[in-house]
Amino acid sequence: MSAPGTWASGIREALRHPFWQAVALLLGAYLLFEFGIALVPPLVGIKSAPIPASVLVQYMLTAVVGILLYVSDQEERWRRFKEPIRAALVDPNKRWIRAALLIVVPISAGFVTYRQVRPSVGAGAQLRSIHPAPPSTISFRGRTMTLAGLENLLRRSGDSAQHLATGRRVYYANCLPCHGDLLDGRGQYAHAFNPAPLSFADNGTIAQLTESYVFWRIAKGGRGLPREGTPWNSAMPAWEEFLTEDEIWSVIVFLYQHTGWKPRTWDEEGGGGAP
Amino acid sequence: MVRRKGTASLLLAGAAALAALAAFAAPPNRQGDVGADRERGREVYMKWCAGCHGDEGRGDGPAAEHLLPKPRDFTMALYQVRSTATGQLPLDEDILRVVNEGMPGSSMPGWKAVLSGAERAAVVRYLKTLSPDFAPATAPPAALSFGSAPRGGDAAALEGRDLYRRIECWKCHGDSGRGDGTSAPTLKDDLGNPIRAADLTQNWTFNGGGTAPDIYRVLRTGMDGTPMPSFGDLIEGRIITDEQLWRVAQYVRSLSPAEPPRARDVVRAARVEAGLPSGPDDSAWASVERYYYPLVGQVIVRPRWFAPMVSGLWVQALHDGRALALRVTWHDPSQSPDSSWNVWRARVAARMGADDSAAADSTPLPDRLAVQFPARLPAGLDRPYFLMGSVEEPVYLWSWESEPRSAVEATARGADRLEPLAGLTDSVATSSTYDHGEWRVQFTRALSTGDSTNQLEFVTGRPIPMAFYAWDGSNGETGARMAVGSWSAVYLAEPARASTYLSPAFAMLATAGLGLTVIWRAQRHRRKTTDDGTDIGTSEAE
Repeated sequence: MSAPGTWASGIREALRHPFWQAVALLLGAYLLFEFGIALVPPLVGIKSAPIPASVLVQYMLTAVVGILLYVSDQEERWRRFKEPIRAALVDPNKRWIRAALLIVVPISAGFVTYRQVRPSVGAGAQLRSIHPAPPSTISFRGRTMTLAGLENLLRRSGDSAQHLATGRRVYYANCLPCHGDLLDGRGQYAHAFNPAPLSFADNGTIAQLTESYVFWRIAKGGRGLPREGTPWNSAMPAWEEFLTEDEIWSVIVFLYQHTGWKPRTWDEEGGGGAP
Repeated sequence: MVRRKGTASLLLAGAAALAALAAFAAPPNRQGDVGADRERGREVYMKWCAGCHGDEGRGDGPAAEHLLPKPRDFTMALYQVRSTATGQLPLDEDILRVVNEGMPGSSMPGWKAVLSGAERAAVVRYLKTLSPDFAPATAPPAALSFGSAPRGGDAAALEGRDLYRRIECWKCHGDSGRGDGTSAPTLKDDLGNPIRAADLTQNWTFNGGGTAPDIYRVLRTGMDGTPMPSFGDLIEGRIITDEQLWRVAQYVRSLSPAEPPRARDVVRAARVEAGLPSGPDDSAWASVERYYYPLVGQVIVRPRWFAPMVSGLWVQALHDGRALALRVTWHDPSQSPDSSWNVWRARVAARMGADDSAAADSTPLPDRLAVQFPARLPAGLDRPYFLMGSVEEPVYLWSWESEPRSAVEATARGADRLEPLAGLTDSVATSSTYDHGEWRVQFTRALSTGDSTNQLEFVTGRPIPMAFYAWDGSNGETGARMAVGSWSAVYLAEPARASTYLSPAFAMLATAGLGLTVIWRAQRHRRKTTDDGTDIGTSEAE
């Protein structure tokens, strides 16, 4: 019917009208919130996820208010903004648009209501703190250890190549099924566990922690977590039952060496080092 | 659909081949370069591969004792995934393919996302230096021509099924393809490691890949070093045609679902009024949704178990307001105890590292399945410890056994503290069938038993935590040597409430009424203003 040129000029024409400007702004805002924001973190090397629905609703409300302020700012613009709305309500030749709106809008309302009231079979979100605060002391094989200020003594004593070799042996013989070859928490067994095993390659795990914290997690496992860590779900074994103290410190040496992260130190305020 | 998929995989294969060509286009030719290139490959190998495959490439890294299938021994130059005839060396592209994609059904992951193309190419060249068979003097292996998948409908599928029987796939893989053939317990690889006949209904576990072209390649070239033979000689001997071998591949592919199953959080038990199914083979189950529940080895308490036979199960549930019926289906190649599997069990015990010596025991063991619930419904999100609870928070279990065929209710306060509930009339009824490598068990229990201190009271309208354990006696599984999963849940549907349908209807009426009012007012306003002769646009007030 119409050539692409007339389409384009038609759209340009429409965009000079405040009503269609508002519609376009609203659509643009939605696309930005829903898809655009998630594109930013990867640019600086951070993992990304879509923004939650409740936040999206808040942002959209803000956008609507902003747009209404803009269109009602000038008398003339406000009048022109209302024109198409009023036309849809009263013009005799817009009868079909009125009828369509009268059908589509109530059906959408019914649908949204149904989604709200229908019985949900969801298991409910398991709110879980991934790195809960550690206790001040732990009992390791009957011996009390103070975590604050605790350091990996293997870093200062013995043959570091030997510690690394021990840690590597311990990792592959014990940790591999869940934490995997790539140290990304996606080993052969990982799919059966919820929460999934942690990825050490991720910058949010061992890179943010002191070695004493990692020691606590390995030694005490999932069951040693405080309540906010949902200890009943974690499949992490308490490795003090399988490994010696030196073996645990060695595997910690291996984890940092293999991923390239630096442990957070006690005198350091900020986060972990870069790989 | 099938053809489109075929085209897509052809394109992919083409792209992969191009990438491989690019990577291998400039092989190092000067002596010094060879040494430097080998060193680069060795560096990658030592960092990422040696943990399983060993520092010398003998398949004996620290991980190997807990892995089944065992990591490849590169010094033997025996490769399962090849596009060359059986007994031949693989192409570089074949080795690269496994490095890229990994080996499904084993612990070998794909490395595409971690290692650069140059690193992967270097490591492939390094692997070849681990065996003298790849010496530069030997003639390069020749790729076989595979043709492409023939089209065909139901008749072709039937032909594939006939050929499956004729070329005796069933001997190892079983009549229904579940890896339960009569030869299955005797299978071992060239190194004496036990090796399972693949469960052909679970193509996501096929070592050589799960597509029809993958299956065809395995049929054509065999998996060298394993009991899986090459059927290329049948084509050369004109016993079957190439097209017929493709039919077998297509038939085998058809035994698995289009997509691998995915675990979900909640099993929904619909409410039925017409009575619950009478047993696991009641036709009423056919229309009930199946939920997949993955299982893996128990590696938390001693003795740990790294070679579980059961890799997952399917759960279905129904209730009628008075009782809950749960149907659990899983694949197990043996109906234990079965003495023909003793040879398998001994081989597994000999080749898997163990925390204790009981693995070598040969007492006949039954198959088992346990369904776990919390002993009491948790108030909030807290639950008992997922692995059989704890002293403070016990769990309540239905524990079924294949021999004698029965089920008991039990309380567990930890993996080593499972006690049958004594002095109870059995309130859990079970009915079970073993059929060609598949167990089907139906559990039925009243929602409320009158003993709420020991037995969980089932309620409708909220998710109730639920978990499963499976044991294959013929695989030496008993006690903590078991397959485990995480907390899932079962949700017993409530009878439909009127408000579920009334609220949306009310919302629709209210919105429509509001809309009509707005239109009516706007039109009345317009009539009034035009009658008055005022300018419509500026006088409208809203």
